Amino acid sequence: MQAAQANRLREGGRIDRSRPLKFSLNGKAYTGFAGDTLASALIANGVGLVERSFKLRRPRGIFGSGAEEPNVIVQVGEGAEAQPGLPATRVELRDGLIAHTARGWPSVRFDIGAINDLFGRILGAGFYYKTFMYPRSWWKYYESAIRRSTGFGRAPAASDPDAYEHRNAHCDVLVAGGGPAGLMAALVAAKSGARVILADDGTEFGGSLLACGEDVAGAPAADWIAGIVAELGEQPDCVLLPRGAVLGYHDHDFLTIAERCDSGEPVERGLHPPVRERLWRIRAKRVILAQGGFERPLAFCNNDRPGVMLASAVSTYIHRYAVLPGRRAVVFTNNDSAYRTALDLAVAGAAVAAIVDSRPGGGGELAIRARDLGIPVLQGRVVCDVTGRHRVKGVSVAEWSGDSWENISKTAHFDCDLLAVSGGWSPAVHLHSQAGGQLDWSEAQLCFLPSRARQCHDSAGAGNGKQSLGDCLIDGLRAGTEAVAKLGLTPIAIEAPDAGSAREAPIEALWRVPAEKEADRCLKQFIDFQNDTTVADIRLAVREGYRNVEHVKRYTALGFGTDQGKLGNINGMAVLADVLGKTIPEVGTTTFRPVYTPVRFGTVAGESVGALYDPVRQTALHEWHEAVGAPMEVVGQWHRPWYFPRDGEDLHTAVARECLAVRNSVGAMDASTLGKIDARGPDVVKFLERIYTHNVGRMKVGRCAYGIMLGEDGMVMDDGVMARLGENHFYLTTTTGGAAGVLNWLESWLQTEWPELEVYLTSLTEHFSTIALAGPNSRNLLEKLGCDIPLDRESFPFLTVRAANLAGMPVQLFRVSFSGELAFEINIGSHLALQMWRKVMDAGREFDIIAYGTETMHVLRAEKGFIIVGQETDGSVTPVDLGMNWLLSKEKDFLGKRSLARPDCLREDRKQLVGLLSSDQRTVLPEGTQLIEQTACGVLETRPVPMCGHVTSSYFSPSLGHPIALALVAGGRARKGDNVFAALPGREPLPVEVVSPAFYDPKGERQNV
Amino acid sequence: MSESTSRRHVETGVLENRGFLNLRLDPHKEKAVKAAEQILGQAVPLVSNTYGSGEHRVYWLGPDEWLIETDAGDVVALENELAMALAGSSAAINDVSGGYVALRIVGADARTVLAKGCTLDLHPPEFRPGRCARTRLARTTILLAADGEPDSYTIIAARSFTDYLRRWLAHAAEK
Repeated sequence: MQAAQANRLREGGRIDRSRPLKFSLNGKAYTGFAGDTLASALIANGVGLVERSFKLRRPRGIFGSGAEEPNVIVQVGEGAEAQPGLPATRVELRDGLIAHTARGWPSVRFDIGAINDLFGRILGAGFYYKTFMYPRSWWKYYESAIRRSTGFGRAPAASDPDAYEHRNAHCDVLVAGGGPAGLMAALVAAKSGARVILADDGTEFGGSLLACGEDVAGAPAADWIAGIVAELGEQPDCVLLPRGAVLGYHDHDFLTIAERCDSGEPVERGLHPPVRERLWRIRAKRVILAQGGFERPLAFCNNDRPGVMLASAVSTYIHRYAVLPGRRAVVFTNNDSAYRTALDLAVAGAAVAAIVDSRPGGGGELAIRARDLGIPVLQGRVVCDVTGRHRVKGVSVAEWSGDSWENISKTAHFDCDLLAVSGGWSPAVHLHSQAGGQLDWSEAQLCFLPSRARQCHDSAGAGNGKQSLGDCLIDGLRAGTEAVAKLGLTPIAIEAPDAGSAREAPIEALWRVPAEKEADRCLKQFIDFQNDTTVADIRLAVREGYRNVEHVKRYTALGFGTDQGKLGNINGMAVLADVLGKTIPEVGTTTFRPVYTPVRFGTVAGESVGALYDPVRQTALHEWHEAVGAPMEVVGQWHRPWYFPRDGEDLHTAVARECLAVRNSVGAMDASTLGKIDARGPDVVKFLERIYTHNVGRMKVGRCAYGIMLGEDGMVMDDGVMARLGENHFYLTTTTGGAAGVLNWLESWLQTEWPELEVYLTSLTEHFSTIALAGPNSRNLLEKLGCDIPLDRESFPFLTVRAANLAGMPVQLFRVSFSGELAFEINIGSHLALQMWRKVMDAGREFDIIAYGTETMHVLRAEKGFIIVGQETDGSVTPVDLGMNWLLSKEKDFLGKRSLARPDCLREDRKQLVGLLSSDQRTVLPEGTQLIEQTACGVLETRPVPMCGHVTSSYFSPSLGHPIALALVAGGRARKGDNVFAALPGREPLPVEVVSPAFYDPKGERQNV
Repeated sequence: MSESTSRRHVETGVLENRGFLNLRLDPHKEKAVKAAEQILGQAVPLVSNTYGSGEHRVYWLGPDEWLIETDAGDVVALENELAMALAGSSAAINDVSGGYVALRIVGADARTVLAKGCTLDLHPPEFRPGRCARTRLARTTILLAADGEPDSYTIIAARSFTDYLRRWLAHAAEK
């Protein structure tokens, strides 16, 4: 089994050789060890060609070792658990892991799409834009074909079986990145008494230290890391988040971290599956960004062949995973760091055929060490081409004059199976930039360095442009110490540990190696590997007129992949600057946006899925409604009983029965969801006069009134019954949906516009439950329940309120009606409401009482032509449109009054509330139906057809025996008796008659008995 | 307190027999404040986001608004006494006992469970005993108070959201 891992070194690495793991890629079985990533295990097994590229279907292998990996993007798992779009370098190996690559058909080795590569000349930037434009109507066909051939995996069809959660946290210092600088910063901050969170994307802390052979404080780096992590773990307020990718740096020092909570081991899900990924929402006082840097590749012909890798990735595979990615290597660099990789390769037993260094003067101290090991070092040379298609077979080397526009010719060839490249380092400035921080171009280091911060952040280590390990440790210590001081704490004194630092020669600007042929014809110099963006594409974009880096990015897809350009962006900008004849800082960078690494949708949703998707508000009577099996209607977040079916009744039968029961005897409804506000104070009348349109001051104590409030635009905003409980004491009701908004509206007037008014508002929506009793027997029912006040018409007339004791419980009784029947509303403390409801239903048996739901309530009020705000109104309807002129006081001012005098509000052809009767006596018009005018020669003669309104409410009326509808019709009140036409889908337009909206008992005699 | 235990070291339960009064009063009217304090037998907290303990708990909700938590059986009498004492002071006293449910969450992991749905910093120096805040828990508004004992919090939630909130808490405590 182990023999299969031919590239595995016999010793070393952070892997556990006692735990071999089986896994498969594209159906083929392999083995690896605990501690491997999918990428390291594949390299250990000698799998060089892993994937096909996105557009040109070129063979690709693993190029990097972390979040920057552009090539090998896999789908892990199967069925509902499948997770697409993961770079193999970030997939922790586990036993039984099943992975698939996104492309390669019929196989990765013989991908039929590779034919695209032959047409690479025409598949340049903008190919799709240019080709599939015409004819325009064909795009829908093009699109489905194009979509099928792209993508980085298949989204699972089943819902995600895993659990996710959110966690809010606060800290003094958040350290992003647990490498040498981050560990030092966290240590000094935590030991100085700060609350610290240390997050690192990797499975363990250490960062670059895990991938080098250097000593720290005279001991192997691993020992030093373990010591620091143990020390941090002992601090009382230090949270360590390995596997925690900092995704975003948002405003006000708010950061998000996705923590992978499992190591990928299979889990028992059961009733409470463990959390797979956790989204941390962190508010930090100081932030230290120590995320290190990304090594840049170099642009030369066929620089994407499997076997070309980042030099730092090669070192990582050797040191961290004990994997040797090649037997005979060439190293190509423009800086000193890759010399370390050459030394690592040599020590691990590989032959290093040559170090090709573009700099005429070569490297510093490390170059001397390489020469001492007998490695040939070629100075002032570049790798100009790679041979081998599915695997590097050799490299061509040419002399380098420093001019990338000059054609060159190869002078030497080296056989090799691995080419390690290094184009220098770019600090990971993503979070710094997301936070609004400024970037400065360093001509000495050839990279953007973080400079002025806009929020409370600082950068440290390689992310701050520090190059040697020793400098990174010192910089981390500095950043941690400064953060502590800025918090007002006293930083403790810690010494930075000793670490090696070699004298380095400066980096050389080498953004593109010249080609042997005219550079334009060379389409194989890749800048963004994931999107197959080449140097030629960038030149083409410029030739076609694109100048701005953001435009070039969008035209060439540079940096658009799942790696978000971590690998190729800076090289692309440098090439663009070169082509435009500008400097790199003049060209600038594209915008860095969250998220830093891809994140699962489940993590974003957290626990707000399934039964916890949205809060459910229940009335105090919910238990009873549920017990009798009432289907619920969701109104805002409230669950209200819709209707109460008996013996398998459907909606229409149940509603017909409920309506008739109310009209003929008595029904009870749970009206608790209405908004309820207690308003009192010496200025309460003055205040309510300004809010409501009617004469509030004229209401006598004990009286109720229907009131509406308007927005400043004169449009109806909310309505409800209000009652005057005392001289300076009112009780207001609002619509269910408007409850919170109306209270806020009233408070905002009180607090910001009229603070001189002494008025106190208290929400009683939750405190009071409301039981509506409607029907000719409702008074008899109250009497039977035992009421301590007289209920006859004279003592307790329509539209009054009384405090009473009903069935032994204190209540407020309102004589109001939303059904047109004799009706009462019982207001009772919610803690007593269920008890009262049961008594009502028991006592009501004598009258064949029924419970009715929202549907019956709607039918009953529509039969009376009573409006519902939000159904008959939509924010563009005035009280005049609704025929409510009688509610508009002429004697006082109120909010919205002036707007009603605008010419538009006075138009005679405004849409007005009317009733409609279907001419066929049968058709219940769908709500929302458009109403159209009859024309001389038939309704559909002219186009567009003349429209005159729409249906707002529509029901079958069981009491009347025919359908009824409410509608808004242009100039409708003057058109009673006219016919308009209802446009019905799939049918001839139906004539409907415009009538008064009060269909039932238009004189209102039934409610006033 | 009816209790439920879970995988985490935390217990949640409903506090039975709690009654609530909402008090609105101009804090600058010293006479009225004194009158209220005399009836309550304890100070009305004037410092934001604090509550006073005594025979009742008096939570600061806003510059001129307090929530009084007391025994359910005492609410009516207390409301009447306060109303009488504050008559003529243009204060508003309302029985809101039906509107709220008090929950208690206790245990070493109480803070962790709350942190899943509450964005406040509940770290003891920041949110110590005697502090309270109207805030969000999961997707509802609550009044949260740090109790006198460590790792114990009172959640006062709107009644209609209680079922959702209890399900959310049970779920959060299992992770």
